[in-house]
Amino acid sequence: MRASDSHEVSQLNELKIDVGALAFTAHYVLAGDVIMCEQMPIYGGYAGGLEETTIVDVATTLNAFIMTQATWHLDGPIHVRWGITTAREALAVAGHCAMAIEANTNVMLGNQYYTLAGPCTVMCLLETAAQAITDTASGREILSGVASAKGVATNYTTGLEARMMAEAARAVAGMETAKVNEILDKLVGMYEKDYKTAPKGKPFQECYDVVSLTPTQEYLDVYDEAVKILTELGLDYWKK
Amino acid sequence: MALSKKVTVFDVFDRAKSGQKVDENEWDYKIIPQTASRLKEKYGIKMDKKVMVPTDRNLIDNLFKAGLEMLVECGVYCMDTGRVIKFTEEEILTSVKAAPSRVVLGEGKDAVVMETRSYQDKKPPVIQGGPTGAPVSEDMFIGVHQSYAQEPLVDTIVDGVLQTINGHDPVPGSPWEIAAVKSEAILIRAAQLRAGRPGMGL
Repeated sequence: MRASDSHEVSQLNELKIDVGALAFTAHYVLAGDVIMCEQMPIYGGYAGGLEETTIVDVATTLNAFIMTQATWHLDGPIHVRWGITTAREALAVAGHCAMAIEANTNVMLGNQYYTLAGPCTVMCLLETAAQAITDTASGREILSGVASAKGVATNYTTGLEARMMAEAARAVAGMETAKVNEILDKLVGMYEKDYKTAPKGKPFQECYDVVSLTPTQEYLDVYDEAVKILTELGLDYWKK
Repeated sequence: MALSKKVTVFDVFDRAKSGQKVDENEWDYKIIPQTASRLKEKYGIKMDKKVMVPTDRNLIDNLFKAGLEMLVECGVYCMDTGRVIKFTEEEILTSVKAAPSRVVLGEGKDAVVMETRSYQDKKPPVIQGGPTGAPVSEDMFIGVHQSYAQEPLVDTIVDGVLQTINGHDPVPGSPWEIAAVKSEAILIRAAQLRAGRPGMGL
């Protein structure tokens, strides 16, 4: 690792830490490393509902900068039932927390991505786009992902999901907030009804030619289908 | 009152040894939910889950005040010592003000500058692409990470975790965990090199 790499330390739920985390924070500090302090507040967990979880998220975000002397904070509000960051409630917590911090400080914020659906599915790409739109339009500085298929299945992550994260961010950067919220409400409404039947998708070796490292035509077609939906919702990035 | 100095991680550890003893169940099931609920009422916070990005400045500022007050009032629970680490509001705001608003991730021509941006900024966020802690098999590890490093819009990498190391389970706290973590860094650098981006951040 180089000093200019992000050195991770994690807080624990909610507003907890262990001595081990402090010990390697001390190493990062003394080595002059970039420090990324991570924490994933749980919507529906210890804190409770939407407002309570957002208050805890603001508290733990601020804590990153005093307890671990963070260079930047990596958020990840997660839904207790689905284990994802792309659920409506998780997006609302992240969006409100980022705006509260952004309006009152100059610190740098990130968010991490856990989708319910897996690679090579339209749902996975729409979930990714929804979070990228929320994060970009609430002033976050860095987007980190994507742990597709909830980040628990082996080899169910590929570069194309990150491409969607980047392109959706570019599509809404500078967009008026009222329009952002209108798009998000429709977009999340498209996939949230499918949680119980969310497709796991395909592993990396079925999404890419593992020798040439190029995506399969099947996945590119799925990507184009997601782009078509996002364009119809009002994102004109892909028309330019 | 003027602060003598900014709080450091060493001060935090000292407070973790000397703070008030609290039962962990009380922390999880009483202190956290009851404080959050009380601050929600105190500041009149009401959110609409159809609105992901708020525009009401009062709501935005009240969320900040409530979060700051939560951190001051509760502090942070240290699981190893069973004690609470407390900060004053002044200490927290001093650390927040001292935090950087700009940093360079990576080196040379592959480095990217991250700096504070506004919610209405036309400048997009930095893109950290990768499996974000998801498990990746040893045989696919370089290929999976190269698929991110070769994406032109990906600025820096967030790694996945090796499912095994030389066929062994990288059990937390074991020598195999150390071997796995070191191999992850080596293999991601290899993926970045193969993508022609040797200075890319990780």
